[in-house]
Amino acid sequence: MTNDAQLTTEPAASRGFWGEAWQRFRRRKLGMAAMLFVVFLCLVATFAPMIVGTKPIVCKYQGKIYFPAMGYYVRSWENPIFRKDRFRNTYPKNLKKKDPESWALWPLVYQDPYRRVRDDEWPGRPGNPSGTKGHPSGLNFFGTDQVGFDVFAQLVHGTQIALSVGFISMSIAGVIGITIGALAGYLGGWVDVVLSRVIELVMCIPSLVLILALVAMLDEVSNFHLMAIVGITSWTGIARLARAEFMKLKQMEFIVAARAMGASQWRIMFRHVLRNALAPILVPITFGIAAAILIESGLSYLGFGASPPNPSWGTLLKSGRSAIQQTWWLIVFPGTAIFLTVLAYNLIGEGLQEATDPRLRQDSH
Amino acid sequence: MHANSRIVLFLIVCTSTFWFGCSSEKATEQVESGAGSAGEAVSDSESTEQLVKTFVLGDLIEPFDPPSLEEIDKLAEWVDQPVLDGMELMRKEQAEEGPAELSVAEALELRNNSDEDNEKLIHALGRLAAPEGSGVDYGTTFVREAQGDLKSSNPLLFSAAMDGEFSELTGVSLFGFDRHFTPFASKDAVVSWQTSKDRLMDKLVLRDDLTWSDGKPITAHDVEFSFKVILSDSVPIPAVRSGTVELKYVKAYDDRTLVIFHKEALATNVWNMLFPFIPKHIYEKSLAEDPTMTRSDYHSKLEDHPVVGGAYKMKKRVRGQEFVVERREEYYLHNGKQVRMKPYFKQIRFKVIEDPNTALLALKAGSIDDHRISPEQWESQTDDEDFYKNNTKNTTLGWDSYYFCWNFKTPFFGDKRVRHAMSYAMDYDEMLSTIFHDMYQPSRGTFHPTSWMFPKHEPPQPFQQDLDKAEDLLDEAGWEDSDGDGVRDKMVDGKRVPFRFSLLVHQRPDAIKVGTLLKECLDQIGVECLVKPTEFTVWVEKNRTKAFQASMGVWGTGADPGSQENIFGTGKGRNSGGYSNPEVDNFFRQALLEFDREKRGEIYGEITKLMWEDQPYTWLLYRNSFYGFNKRLRGYTFSPRGPYGFSPGIFGIYKAVLSP
Repeated sequence: MTNDAQLTTEPAASRGFWGEAWQRFRRRKLGMAAMLFVVFLCLVATFAPMIVGTKPIVCKYQGKIYFPAMGYYVRSWENPIFRKDRFRNTYPKNLKKKDPESWALWPLVYQDPYRRVRDDEWPGRPGNPSGTKGHPSGLNFFGTDQVGFDVFAQLVHGTQIALSVGFISMSIAGVIGITIGALAGYLGGWVDVVLSRVIELVMCIPSLVLILALVAMLDEVSNFHLMAIVGITSWTGIARLARAEFMKLKQMEFIVAARAMGASQWRIMFRHVLRNALAPILVPITFGIAAAILIESGLSYLGFGASPPNPSWGTLLKSGRSAIQQTWWLIVFPGTAIFLTVLAYNLIGEGLQEATDPRLRQDSH
Repeated sequence: MHANSRIVLFLIVCTSTFWFGCSSEKATEQVESGAGSAGEAVSDSESTEQLVKTFVLGDLIEPFDPPSLEEIDKLAEWVDQPVLDGMELMRKEQAEEGPAELSVAEALELRNNSDEDNEKLIHALGRLAAPEGSGVDYGTTFVREAQGDLKSSNPLLFSAAMDGEFSELTGVSLFGFDRHFTPFASKDAVVSWQTSKDRLMDKLVLRDDLTWSDGKPITAHDVEFSFKVILSDSVPIPAVRSGTVELKYVKAYDDRTLVIFHKEALATNVWNMLFPFIPKHIYEKSLAEDPTMTRSDYHSKLEDHPVVGGAYKMKKRVRGQEFVVERREEYYLHNGKQVRMKPYFKQIRFKVIEDPNTALLALKAGSIDDHRISPEQWESQTDDEDFYKNNTKNTTLGWDSYYFCWNFKTPFFGDKRVRHAMSYAMDYDEMLSTIFHDMYQPSRGTFHPTSWMFPKHEPPQPFQQDLDKAEDLLDEAGWEDSDGDGVRDKMVDGKRVPFRFSLLVHQRPDAIKVGTLLKECLDQIGVECLVKPTEFTVWVEKNRTKAFQASMGVWGTGADPGSQENIFGTGKGRNSGGYSNPEVDNFFRQALLEFDREKRGEIYGEITKLMWEDQPYTWLLYRNSFYGFNKRLRGYTFSPRGPYGFSPGIFGIYKAVLSP
């Protein structure tokens, strides 16, 4: 009976490669903490205008509901009625003055990443201090920069830049790197020879110099330009890894089988090989995100970032440089933000590496 | 020992541009003295053309057969002009001011916390040394901050701030001007200066005890030769050609007698004569082979070991790091006899430090002896023991002018109402208090209120931010947000044009901050402004070619207002915005023909008022000078340009002998 029962019991469903990898990743406390930190940053980036800003999240004005804070995402999403009615970005007083019946739901912190909050802008509240007087305080948690812009507001809104630069640039790098690596690795022959030389050629060019040259050529630099530039200069490592993985995998039996079944080359490359090659490729992409954040901060620090006002963490660091002995808060807070974010991505990358590479598993004895 | 005025003019402007980041190369004077980095850009393109151009000495000079000296003397009724020494003038001025309130020892203990303290410090420490040089440590080195590297040691090729500094120290100048910008012939180089009554000729007799550093005498032929080199088409002269080109001819009748012929009798003739000169015997044969004066081996060697005629000569040059000049004993000694004042320093070392924060640290550490302090540093980083241990600091009123220039060719700024709206939109109080810590003065036009050119009756008053007025003006001009995207727009030539423009600013932090403030202000009235920090040479080139919509800059302090015509006159070289007002043009012309300073001042006053009404620029502020000096330094005096760039300027500064 027992044997029969054992025989009839269905075997437990396999968690699959990704399921197992996730299982292993979860066991790594540092990796998970880093993952949670990145999720937290994503939330901060997404809801930045609701966390800190000087425009109401939602308000009722002259009988209608508006969402002025959306203007932080896209300028035209802020209803033009406020410009026509000459609000001039000062909502607290003007809402009451122009419509006593109005009400508003405000961001958690009344500060602005793009300008200095002036005296009495919020009734009874002093303006932001400037120069070296902007120490951290109850009104400016992380202090203010030399022209009185709130550091906390810039850090929160700067999260959008840091994360989007990381994600988008490495998405671009991933697409380029995987495509070139896949073609070189799978097709081999002269294609491999040519593409490998292209990879080596790009690797020979110092990326920062190339980035600076590309930025200098642009008439108007935006964060999207920076993302694209970082993306198109950071794909070589991914391409080499992808090439190696594709070379290895194309010899496997399941690929031979797919080929025997008449699958097209593209189908084999991107449906069968890529799926299995993705795990190791994700690791350099994760490290690449950290590197991209550092590059963007570095460019902003050097003054080659997006056009001002640009609440990037690197720009904040740069503003702290001019009076480094007095304005420590301009170095410590953005520096910590950059450090923690880069560390988080590196820990995630390391965790992914160990979770997906059987040779590195701590439990693989 | 007068500064070479043109170089100095240039230097000041360049210094301001490099320092503040957003200047054009010349202010009013820069027109006279040529182009700074713009010149570099020009020279590059020109130099390409040199490959196919044949060198013909003085081919840009209009044909002119100078009469003999006898004929000239017979025809001209000569009027004597002043031949002076800037040091003597300054000593006289200081004597009239009376004794300093504080002794040197007391001044060195005093911290500069108020205007009164500042005055006391300048009076006590700015005293020139006695004529016999007592108390001067002649064996010491003055280590100066250089905000950029020396680009050329050839005074005809100067194009950067440090080139001007070098030329001032190593060159001979026939003319100089004092801190009130009054010109005179330099006693160190000239015996007499006469002007013909019709003001079309100037006759100078040079001293016979001037020598080049290779021992050859400096003669009037060197001056004539240099004039012809400057006006040779194939020689890529970046800066000094403008102004000099206004001269008709320069003729050396013998080794010492020089006559300068003018095309017209103009009030600015004296400034046009301020060009540097080079040794004829060194260059006359080599120019045909290499008109660029830079490419051949011979010229390359001269670049590092130039033959100079001034108080100092090149001692050492490490590109990108420093250059050192050394006192020429043969400058002040002639046949063993002292014929000029002995220059105060054995050496002057220029250390290249581009970052102001590093420079301040170097000053505090005693590695450099002077540093141009930023308002921010003045306020928060130079008031502690760390600074006052080795240094003291001074400030003076400056005339350098910050502005936004509006390009009339764009669909936006041809309309006076729009330009006024821009001027009303700017938050001047915020700019002055937050960005410049209340250390600069609000602008009232192109001339400074304390200058003789500023209108005395109904002078312009500074703009105050008035966003309602700005919006009304924009509405009136037809700029309204018709599509509800938050940005004003207007139908121009059948197309809807949004009011969205870019503002070129230099990559200096303060320029970016001012640009960002304008952006914030305009954002409130539905105008979108993109602030574009731009590298200096690109900035200059874009302004030169008018390839911009709006541009922020700073004009340096001009010695004579005549050069403003080149900035605001219709179709003139530095009129980047394309401003044109025939009435203003007429006044500029009238002012050139008027020799009475008071009457000239009234004409420039009218120009100021007309331009204030037209607002081709939004004038922002006048910049003051802030300097930190090592406590051993004495004799620094100030003009509206700061402590350098006039006579005596750097030649009055010395290090006191250390007490035993």
